[in-house]
Amino acid sequence: MKPPIKLSQPPKPQPSDEPRSMAELISFAIASMVIVAVLGGAGYLWVSDRNPLPPTLEITSTTEYRQGKYYVPFTVKNTGGETAESVQVIAELRIENMLVEWGDQQVDFLSSQEEATGAFIFTRDPDLGALSVRVASYKEP
Amino acid sequence: MAPSKSRKATQISRELDDLVRGICGGFLFGIPLLYTIEVWWIGSSVSPLRLIVALLTTLGVTYLLSRTEGFRKAKATRENDAIGDAVEAIALGIICATLTLILLRQITLDTPFNEALGKIIFESVPFSLGVSLSNQLLQEADDSPVQKESSPLARRTAENALNETIADIGATLIGATIIAFSIAPTDEVTVLVAAIDGPWLVLNVLTSLLLSYGIVFQANFANQKQRRSQTGIFQGPLSETAISYLISLLAAALMLIFFRKLDPSAPFELAFRQVLILGLPATIGGAAGRLAL
Repeated sequence: MKPPIKLSQPPKPQPSDEPRSMAELISFAIASMVIVAVLGGAGYLWVSDRNPLPPTLEITSTTEYRQGKYYVPFTVKNTGGETAESVQVIAELRIENMLVEWGDQQVDFLSSQEEATGAFIFTRDPDLGALSVRVASYKEP
Repeated sequence: MAPSKSRKATQISRELDDLVRGICGGFLFGIPLLYTIEVWWIGSSVSPLRLIVALLTTLGVTYLLSRTEGFRKAKATRENDAIGDAVEAIALGIICATLTLILLRQITLDTPFNEALGKIIFESVPFSLGVSLSNQLLQEADDSPVQKESSPLARRTAENALNETIADIGATLIGATIIAFSIAPTDEVTVLVAAIDGPWLVLNVLTSLLLSYGIVFQANFANQKQRRSQTGIFQGPLSETAISYLISLLAAALMLIFFRKLDPSAPFELAFRQVLILGLPATIGGAAGRLAL
């Protein structure tokens, strides 16, 4: 049986009048450098992104044949300045102007210069028709 | 010369103890928010000005906490000491949040700088508060001259090693459940399973063990001396850390099963990864549970 922990009334740390030791001063110096570096980074972003551009979503895709299916891997990248949320990517395959297969995916979040990858899978050969892979929508965070 | 060296060694040892206590407090308080997708997103999307404001506000709060609690054994009585402790609490929060975000693969070499910085600053807030609350989170070890080993209570503890072991298993399970129960049903575990692979999973395990050992045997929280002196079946520091880790993994698996997050038809490897990833917060909770219960 252990003595109970007095979580509600813990003993206070003992006051100390000793000057800071060298080890404490070194910790403080390193800690100060860490904070200055982080604040400096945030300050740099603030100065450089005063008027950020809206999201610009670029998409690239290819077609690969794997085990009887046609895979269309895609990469969507936000080349703009602001973040895009709920980015909707849709793929449509039209053969003889008829929409024969389609799919859609949602990328939760794309900050500036971030990219996400995925793939659509078709049963028909996209080369036999017109394949469209595009970003349909996004919303601001 | 020798006393000076000894004094220096004592100062370094005391400083390391304080820092370890701060880090452990930070993890106890900050780990649930690390498993929250929304915090990653908020950190990624807010403006740099808001990041600076968040950091400075946290600095103010940690300063106030350092005046009353803090993470050091010696309370800060001077203004400069409180400011110094607040700065160190923020820096420890930033370092812990950064390392954990890297461990969880939420910051990689491909992560844009602005996104990484936002995640680090927002995740460091609960860590920094946890560092500043270290002395409050769990009662500090009593350094009074009365040795617990010599008390009748300690002798009785030694005689009832099996009971102590059973009590520790229960405390680990309860602590693990308290911290990890709110994380188990969320999608974050699934997201992290997809993100963490190979060596990162091994690092996850090693970090869990290190934090568990640190909280119970290094951070000088409650009952550390008593725990080191206990003679239960698994109560050497290393064996207790290893066994309690396994118990925390069991608790993590049970929670995932309870929330139907473990698919029986899925490959064993997937379930194993889920358990290891939830095992990190569960292990931290389990360690705190063994101290607090």
